[in-house]
Amino acid sequence: MKRRFPVALAVLAAGLALYPLQATGYGIRVMLQLFMWIALAQSWNLISGLTGYVSFGHVVFFGTGAYASSILIVTLGWAWPLACLGGGVVAAGLAFVIGWPCLRLKGPYFAIATLGLNEVLRVVVSYYEGLTGGGNGLSLPTLYASVEIYYAMGLVAAAVTAVTYVIVTSRFGLRLMTIREDEVAAEAMGIDTLRYKLYAFLLSAAAPGIVGGLSARDQGYIEPLSVFPLIMTITMIVMALFGGKGTIWGPVLGAAVLFAFQEVVWARFIYLHQLLFGAIIVGVVLLMPRGILGVLQQKYNLPRTI
Amino acid sequence: MAPILEIRSVVKRFGGVAAVNGVSLALEPGRIYGLIGPNGSGKTTLFNCITGVDQADEGEILFKGRRIDGLKPHQIFHFGMGRTFQVIRVFPELTAVENLLVVTTTGYAEAQRRAQELLALVKLDRLAGEFAGNLSYGQQKLVEFIRVLMTDPEMILLDEPAAGVNRTLLNELLDAVRRLRDQGKTVLLVEHDMKVVMGLCETVFVLDHGEKLAEGAPGVIQADERVIEAYFGR
Repeated sequence: MKRRFPVALAVLAAGLALYPLQATGYGIRVMLQLFMWIALAQSWNLISGLTGYVSFGHVVFFGTGAYASSILIVTLGWAWPLACLGGGVVAAGLAFVIGWPCLRLKGPYFAIATLGLNEVLRVVVSYYEGLTGGGNGLSLPTLYASVEIYYAMGLVAAAVTAVTYVIVTSRFGLRLMTIREDEVAAEAMGIDTLRYKLYAFLLSAAAPGIVGGLSARDQGYIEPLSVFPLIMTITMIVMALFGGKGTIWGPVLGAAVLFAFQEVVWARFIYLHQLLFGAIIVGVVLLMPRGILGVLQQKYNLPRTI
Repeated sequence: MAPILEIRSVVKRFGGVAAVNGVSLALEPGRIYGLIGPNGSGKTTLFNCITGVDQADEGEILFKGRRIDGLKPHQIFHFGMGRTFQVIRVFPELTAVENLLVVTTTGYAEAQRRAQELLALVKLDRLAGEFAGNLSYGQQKLVEFIRVLMTDPEMILLDEPAAGVNRTLLNELLDAVRRLRDQGKTVLLVEHDMKVVMGLCETVFVLDHGEKLAEGAPGVIQADERVIEAYFGR
């Protein structure tokens, strides 16, 4: 088992790397979106799954990254890979500015603050028309780079998962978990909880920023409503919860299963799919709040590294 | 000898109630102190003020000659003061050994060696990989106790270490506390079990309604009429 897992992972990675040679444009776009959801669900897991601080406005980093990198491309003429990294940096910077005051809030208050912040950012972006195009949105120069973006998205998804692995298997990760377990005790045991929460928040904002930029580049056009939708936050939360929050592979599994489900059902039943998605949320919260891997982990006493 | 911990006229109010009302204490290094008093007399609040969990409204707290009031709990911890809680606060979904590892600042190998050593000390080495939340009440209490010892603090505050612990376990715990004292550490404990307090502590402070009622050797305290009155009424 221990040997087989890395081998299977390597085969999967090789398969995904060769996939564009065979695939149709549609297939590439589908996989690219799957990578995006893995990166988003995993990023949310970094702050909320590990520290227990539920970020209910996580899409704000996606939107910020999308706008930042689009502006870098349109007004400064940066190459898109560099601009997308820039989007990640800007998103992490925003996380610092928000996190410094908001991570002092406890429990639901943090969730509400992040939710409100997303709405604020959307309005701000709509207002500063000179830079963002306001409600008219922002068009990027035409570019056919789906395959390159496919690889970039895949790299980001893999990188966030690798970072999660490193964190969860380190004392740094354990300390993040003590915040979730009992913040008062963590403080009393010498853990500077605010600093740790801030680190986790910065890390969790970077990938959505990059992914937002890549997505914007792929779509070629963004507007406030398309990159700051609340439903995206909810979707990444549900994916992480479904697979198992606080685990390494849970968000990957959750994103894969739910994304596949969405693709299949969405194609056939436009309205039913939202209903079913809602039913899944209720089902997961009621029946297995720890998610698939959380349940397996507890039942079979599996190590933390799943 | 210069006191290791000095509390000067500390006041802590919650709304209109002064939970701690002008308490002054001085603790010398290398001794075991007891803090007793009826329910609601301000013992735990005073603990919280000392360790930074609550901020004192008035007064000063000096540890090793430095002001520590106004500092955050994690800063006070790194000055060399560890504590346990009245209600158990282990990290339930971390294993017993992980509960210890998170506390340390030393290298990983060193931390692991120390954790194993402490677990063996309280005979929990077999359960090192078990989630702390799955351990029995007494075992969790022990994990909380040795967690404090991971960084080898100079001063240890124990909030009701004897509550809910069986006799055998309790005697081991008390022996451990005495050994810490012999190593030169200072211990301050809140306890309701008078046998424990009288058998272990060298000096006892009595709180009542947030004020210090008496201070002295256990024998003297036991005979003090004001203390008897505070506990049993006139």
